[in-house]
Amino acid sequence: MLEIKNLHVAVDGKEILKGLNLSIGAGEVHAIMGPNGSGKSTLSYVLAGRAGYDITQGSIAYNGEDLAALAPEERAAKGVFLAMQYPVEIPGVTTMTFLKTALNSQRRARGESDIDAVGVLKLVRAKAKTLNVSEEMLKRALNVGFSGGEKKRLEILQMAIFEPKLAILDETDSGLDIDALRLVAEGVNALRDPSRAMLVITHYQRLLDYIVPDRIHVLAKGRIVAEGGKELALELEAKGYEHIVGQAA
Amino acid sequence: MTLALNLDRKAAAAAVVHSHGVPHRRIEEWKYSDLKSALGDQGLGAVTAEWLVGNLPSGVEMFDLAWPNPPAWVMNHFARPTQNVMRAASLALSAGGVALRVPAGAQIADVLKLDFNGPGHVRGLLVLEEGASLTLAEGVGVADFRNVGFEIVLGEGAALEHVRISPEAGDAVLVEEVLLHLAARAHYRGHFAGFGSKLSRMELEVSLEGEGAQAHLSGVSVLDGKRHSDVTTHVIHRVVNTNSTQLFKHVAGGSARAVYQGKVTVAKGADGSDSSQTAKALLLGEAAEADLKPELEIFADDVKCAHGAAVGDLDAESLFYLRARGIPESQARGLLLQAFLEDAVAEIVHTDQRELVRTELLTALKAVA
Repeated sequence: MLEIKNLHVAVDGKEILKGLNLSIGAGEVHAIMGPNGSGKSTLSYVLAGRAGYDITQGSIAYNGEDLAALAPEERAAKGVFLAMQYPVEIPGVTTMTFLKTALNSQRRARGESDIDAVGVLKLVRAKAKTLNVSEEMLKRALNVGFSGGEKKRLEILQMAIFEPKLAILDETDSGLDIDALRLVAEGVNALRDPSRAMLVITHYQRLLDYIVPDRIHVLAKGRIVAEGGKELALELEAKGYEHIVGQAA
Repeated sequence: MTLALNLDRKAAAAAVVHSHGVPHRRIEEWKYSDLKSALGDQGLGAVTAEWLVGNLPSGVEMFDLAWPNPPAWVMNHFARPTQNVMRAASLALSAGGVALRVPAGAQIADVLKLDFNGPGHVRGLLVLEEGASLTLAEGVGVADFRNVGFEIVLGEGAALEHVRISPEAGDAVLVEEVLLHLAARAHYRGHFAGFGSKLSRMELEVSLEGEGAQAHLSGVSVLDGKRHSDVTTHVIHRVVNTNSTQLFKHVAGGSARAVYQGKVTVAKGADGSDSSQTAKALLLGEAAEADLKPELEIFADDVKCAHGAAVGDLDAESLFYLRARGIPESQARGLLLQAFLEDAVAEIVHTDQRELVRTELLTALKAVA
């Protein structure tokens, strides 16, 4: 589903990703682990299409299509979803209005008909319940005054509503206590599906106790320096990044 | 008013106009709105503009200022002496206008619709007596040049909500001066939505004259092309425990110019006064301009005054977030602009009037986003 080849990405003229290769198939859950500054967030932003992240070399194919040629909203409509590390607060737009606008924008782009307000409300309520997102949160301005845990739960709620084909979770565990982490992880696990690929980006092994990946890649200095099964996370936790990164270098 | 009184006030106003002349940009208060150059050779003229009361709710009394023998409530309040040139001009250079009165204690449920139309000068007077309440929807007709001098008097405990929508008006030069007097516990809420013209200026002078008087001013403007919109306010806290808030938001595209000049004066002895002033602008074009000038003048000791102004661009991170969730760029920009203006629009209490302003904003934002 996702085929990244020799990807080089520069931000403000500085190269952050330096020849990254990654391949994820439908139904698979991959994790990218890496120390601060290794390029984890750059990878997530370049996949979602944020301006200012320039691909200087290499390619990203998504279901055979050149992902870089698509605007962020086109990627979303085609099933790419990035759960952000720092969801943005937008005063003046209620969460419910935002969800309805986003859902119908994606549907319209795919040539599907709009879901009316009542239909969206039903859909959102059904999914919000399991993620412990309250009715009151949905009425408030998007992410404004939400706690860290509430923001992350709302990201996962969006993932459940939009039903993406490729979900990228950028440091979804950051700022969460253990209960919040478990709730979010359960939400993610409920969305594991043979037709859906997931890329879980994290600094710590902790999240991977709850979302168990099929494959782990270690990112350091803009490249994948080690790969393995889920046991690699434990090795990283025990020995630290220095050990593995040092070996690779 | 007797004929003699009328003539006296007119003569005094004419003297003010003659001594000051047409305001231009070298006069501080008109720095961002050069009326003289906008009017060019035509000058102020001496035509009387039109007014129209759409539906007179029962309980509201009306008097045409061109008629003889005005009643006492008109004589008591109409055309107080002024040094404001354009307010003086609206009296000196016109032969009429409209006066409206809501008698003591009358609670008027229907919205009073008052439009000013056509070119020239015209006067308005609205008196709410003690304990009266009213919602006023003021309409602004397009004309080459119009100057409205409007006086509003609120008696003790009276409550007025005033919503004025000034449509996009091409080459028009539209100037209005509203002068408000608030007695004790009177409550004024004014919202001014403007879509700009060659020169549009809304001046508000609010005099808080009785303890517990409150004025809440808000406004939005969405300007495209070469439109100009100026809101100039002066709120004067004359006595103890008076309260005023101001919240103005502007969106300017193209080479448009948004102006907010707001002065709050707290007079000597007006302790316990509480005032806040916020003006913000988003500039969408390289050539767009916003001039935001909040100002405080405090002569009392125990007061709470806050003011702030900010000019910026749409937040890139917010825009990316919305797009990454599938919302197309132009729609995402529109949504963020709407969100930016929302808190100022939310100041309108009357539901239908608020929705009317929202609808107008949506249309204007589509053009400018």
